[in-house]
Amino acid sequence: MAGSPDRKGPGGAEVAWSIIGILLAGVIAWGGIGWLVDKWAGTNVFLPVGIVIGAVGAFYLVIRRYGRG
Amino acid sequence: MLPPPLAREGFHAPGTEDFEWPAIWEIHLGGFTLEINRTALLMLLATLVVLALFLVAFRRPKVVPRGLQNLMEVGVEFVRRQIVLEVIGQDGLRFLPYLVTLFFFIFFANVLEIVPGINFPATSRMALPLFLAILTWVLFNWVGISTQGLGRYLRNTLFPPGIPWPLYVLIAPIEFVSTLIVRPVTLSVRLLANMIAGHLILAVFFLGTVYLIERPATAVFAVPAFAMAVALVGFELIVALLQAYIFTILTAVYLAGALEPEH
Repeated sequence: MAGSPDRKGPGGAEVAWSIIGILLAGVIAWGGIGWLVDKWAGTNVFLPVGIVIGAVGAFYLVIRRYGRG
Repeated sequence: MLPPPLAREGFHAPGTEDFEWPAIWEIHLGGFTLEINRTALLMLLATLVVLALFLVAFRRPKVVPRGLQNLMEVGVEFVRRQIVLEVIGQDGLRFLPYLVTLFFFIFFANVLEIVPGINFPATSRMALPLFLAILTWVLFNWVGISTQGLGRYLRNTLFPPGIPWPLYVLIAPIEFVSTLIVRPVTLSVRLLANMIAGHLILAVFFLGTVYLIERPATAVFAVPAFAMAVALVGFELIVALLQAYIFTILTAVYLAGALEPEH
C-alpha cells in the first residue's frame, strides 16, 4: 500500500471488543442461516449445526486475525 | 416462607421505572405526539454546554492559549493525538471535528449523572446511544464506500485478504454480521448499559443511606453506605470519561478499517 508510516493499529481494548464481536457475529450469522434452513426444510438440526459452524468459523477468524504473536 | 428481613421493609429498590420521566411538553404532529421530557431536555443541555464551551474557548484564539482556551485545547489535543493520529494516522485528521464533538458530547451527557440536582445521564435511554452508533455506522460505511468504491469495499469487508479462498463461504456471513450488525449494537449497548448500571448503583447507595439513617436500628450502617456512595460518584466520573473515550476511539478504529483495509 502507498506508505502510511504513522498508521498504527487498534490497541488492547478495541481488540478485546473486536474479538467478542466476531465470536458473537459468527454464532449469530451461522445460527441465523441454520435457523432459516430449518424453517424452510422443516428440520430442527440445522440451528445447532449452524451455531457450531459459526463458532468454529469465528474462532478461526479471531486466531487468523489476532493470533500472530 | 421466611419472614422478610427487618431492613428490607419499605425500601424502594431503584428499578427501570426510575428511568422514565413524565412528558413536560407535548408536540402534536398530525398522527403522533412528541413528548419533551427530562431526558430530552438533558440532551439539549449537553448540546448547549458543549456548544458554549467551544464557542467561548475559541472565540478569540491566541497563539499562546490561556484560560478556557488552554483547557479546551488539552481536550482537543487529546482526541487528536491519542485517538485520531494513534489509530487512523494523518488521513484521519479530517474527522477530528466530528470525533472531538462526539467525545465531548458523550462525556457531558454521561457526566450529568453526577451533576448535583440533575443526577440522570442522558445516555441511559437508548435513543441517544443508538443514534450515535447509527451515525458511526453510516460514517464508516460511507467513508469505506467513497474511498474504495462499493465493490472493493464490500469485497474487502466480506472477504478479507489472507484467508484461503474455500473458507470464504464460512467467513463471509460472519464478517457481514460482525461489521454491519454487531458493531452498532455493541457500540450502543455498551454505552447504555454502563450508564444504566451507574445510575442504578448510585441510586441504591444514596437511597440506602437515607433509608438506613431513618431507623435507629440501622442508622450506623448509613455511614459506610454514604462512604460508598461518595466513592461511587468519583468512580462514575471516571466511567463517564472512559465510555466517551471508548465510543470515540472505536469510531476511529472503524474509520481506520474503512480507509485502509487490513492486509
